Amino acid sequence: MGSMEFAARKENDRTVVSIRGKMDATTSAEIEAKLDGLVVGGEKKLIVDLKGLEYISSAGLRVLLATAKKLKSQQGDMVFANLDGNVKNVFKISGFFSIFKVYDDLEAALQQGRE
Amino acid sequence: MLKNKSIAVKLILLYTLSGGLIFLLVFSFHYHFSRKMIERKLADNAKNLVLSKVNRIEAALLALQKIPENLACFLESGSYTRESLLALLRLLVEKNPDIYGASIAFAPDGADLQWRSFAPYYYKLRGRIEFVDLSKASYDYTGWDWYQIPKELNRPSWSEPYFDEGAGNIFMTTYSVPFYMDKAGTRRFAGILTVDMNLERLQEVVSSIKVLQTGYGFLISKNGTILTHPIQSLIMNETLFGVAEARQDAQLREIGRKMIRGESGLLPFKDIVSAELCWMYYTPIPTNGWSLAVLFPQQEYIADIKSLNRIVIVLGIAGLLLLSLAVAFIARSIARPLRQMAQAANTIATGNLDIDLPTVKSEDEVGKLAEAFQYMKESLKEYIRQLTETTASKERIESELNIARQIQMNILPRIFPAFPDRPEFDIYAVIEPAREVGGDFYDFFQIDPTHLCFVMADVSGKGVPASLFMAVTKTLIKAMAGEETRPEVFLAKVNDELARGNEASMFVTVFCGVLNTETGEVVYANGGHNPPLVVRREGGVAYLDGIAGLVLGAMEGITYTGEHLILGPGDALFLYTDGVTEAMDKDQALFSEERLQQDVMELRGRPIKEMIKGVLEKVKLFTEGAPQSDDITMMVVQYHGQTRPS
Repeated sequence: MGSMEFAARKENDRTVVSIRGKMDATTSAEIEAKLDGLVVGGEKKLIVDLKGLEYISSAGLRVLLATAKKLKSQQGDMVFANLDGNVKNVFKISGFFSIFKVYDDLEAALQQGRE
Repeated sequence: MLKNKSIAVKLILLYTLSGGLIFLLVFSFHYHFSRKMIERKLADNAKNLVLSKVNRIEAALLALQKIPENLACFLESGSYTRESLLALLRLLVEKNPDIYGASIAFAPDGADLQWRSFAPYYYKLRGRIEFVDLSKASYDYTGWDWYQIPKELNRPSWSEPYFDEGAGNIFMTTYSVPFYMDKAGTRRFAGILTVDMNLERLQEVVSSIKVLQTGYGFLISKNGTILTHPIQSLIMNETLFGVAEARQDAQLREIGRKMIRGESGLLPFKDIVSAELCWMYYTPIPTNGWSLAVLFPQQEYIADIKSLNRIVIVLGIAGLLLLSLAVAFIARSIARPLRQMAQAANTIATGNLDIDLPTVKSEDEVGKLAEAFQYMKESLKEYIRQLTETTASKERIESELNIARQIQMNILPRIFPAFPDRPEFDIYAVIEPAREVGGDFYDFFQIDPTHLCFVMADVSGKGVPASLFMAVTKTLIKAMAGEETRPEVFLAKVNDELARGNEASMFVTVFCGVLNTETGEVVYANGGHNPPLVVRREGGVAYLDGIAGLVLGAMEGITYTGEHLILGPGDALFLYTDGVTEAMDKDQALFSEERLQQDVMELRGRPIKEMIKGVLEKVKLFTEGAPQSDDITMMVVQYHGQTRPS
């Protein structure tokens, strides 16, 4: 298929999106289209599970930013879980930790809404 | 062999050969069967003709037979005197044109003495009736065949035809009828009645047989003697067997035997007279055992067919020729446009799309091909035109991109040493752009005489959008810096400006520092950029540990934190973009932060220009064989202090 796998499933009122492989200039367009589809479809609460995501470039970061902005304009929000080595580093450097909630694992992210 | 020939030749060969073959087959069939038919008809005709002739001969013979038979009855039963007999006999000869002569030859040793030695004979000679008494003649007539044979056989018989000199040199055959008398209760042989028949009439019947031009009939006797024949010399002189011997013709001998045996038959035969092939039909004359044969010349019968065949063959050949012409014509009408189109295709292949294609008027496959060809040519032309346009505009764009790239490079400060009159610090930067127009940039400028601002930044993405964003960002930073020496302040302003109306969610990572040239203090703020290396003259090389602010342009209202560090004399800050640390070799391994740190460590004591060049070389070595995917940008800011060591 390629260097990226995208999957989305509903968990109550949350949508868990899992992205594996690489998020770079070649795969970002597809990911953006799919995320757009979810947002336009009315999903407000996204949990992005990045388990298995090995690499993210500035193109990938841009897609995450754009999606977050769209969700914000619809009173939705976006959280992350399972950040891996490289990706964690990138998130750290680019300051994404200051604007996104990042959980260690999926359970923690799912728990979050219920509190 | 046929591979290289033109369509016309192939078609002509094919059609004339198959046409010729079919014609030949039909013709042979027709010829064969029409011959068979003719032969059958001929056989029927032959039989009919011969049988009718035979019947005529038969009739004549039978009629003649009646006369002596009746007379024999009369002789046996009636009463008569010599005189009445003579008168009767004379009348017989006189009144019957077919009878040449007649006699009553009483047996010399007959029972009745009265009638011994009485053998009257009347005959025609030169128009008169002559008389002779054979018993008075010098020869003994009892020894003759015409007397002996019927006497022995007790029945009438026809003699072999003979040439009678005495009777005026005519051919005759004699019919002898034995007659009997009753004497003392027993029936005893009394004599022979004879009647001579002139053969001429029979000969006429036979010789009147005309079959086309060269056909004829001939008659043979019981013994095979030729009685009539076109070759006059054969008549009465030869038997069929003699002729067969003379000609060494075994077939003729066999025919002769069959004819004498009284058989009928139809067979092919080579005529003696004309030396032509004939059909011979022979059949016996039942009455006297002769045989009639008629020859039907094959050639003449076939002549009609032959001439018909000749005409048919000529017509056939003419037809084939016409066929060839028609085929050639059609082949030409196919081949010529094809040839022309092949030529046109060759010309088009050289790049000339403006030639005129051959016009084909027909609507058939060739016409459709010509149409399609024309359409293809037009489409090709249009396509090439569009392609040329697109290529031209693409080249324009590329050249414009090149110009954009140049402009981009030109707005970066490139003159080194940048502050020759300021010994307290040194600055050097290098940017090695990737193939595609990118978004890396560096900048340095003086905010005021004691504050030097330096920037290292990387716009997300590539291409024209990135380069535009880069130009905007660079300009904004310098503008917002103004007289503000706290980078966290003007970075926040720049961020707000960038985030406003940023539909595409582009962002830029920025590391910005302000060096106090008097004290060596650096105030810095980091918006999502790779932390620089701090190079200590007396210490090591380590990554700057700081707070990571958000990338610029992501959203409005973000605040940045200003941090401090002190540079001692000789210390430097090594700034870079991820084009260095994420440079890939051909196995897709990254250069990495660790390697950069190591390399900078190695080059620590060097002048900064050398240091940068050294690292650049190491990166290039590392990535050898792999294409450069991102701009490689580096900058070193070194502080020397107020008194520079010499």
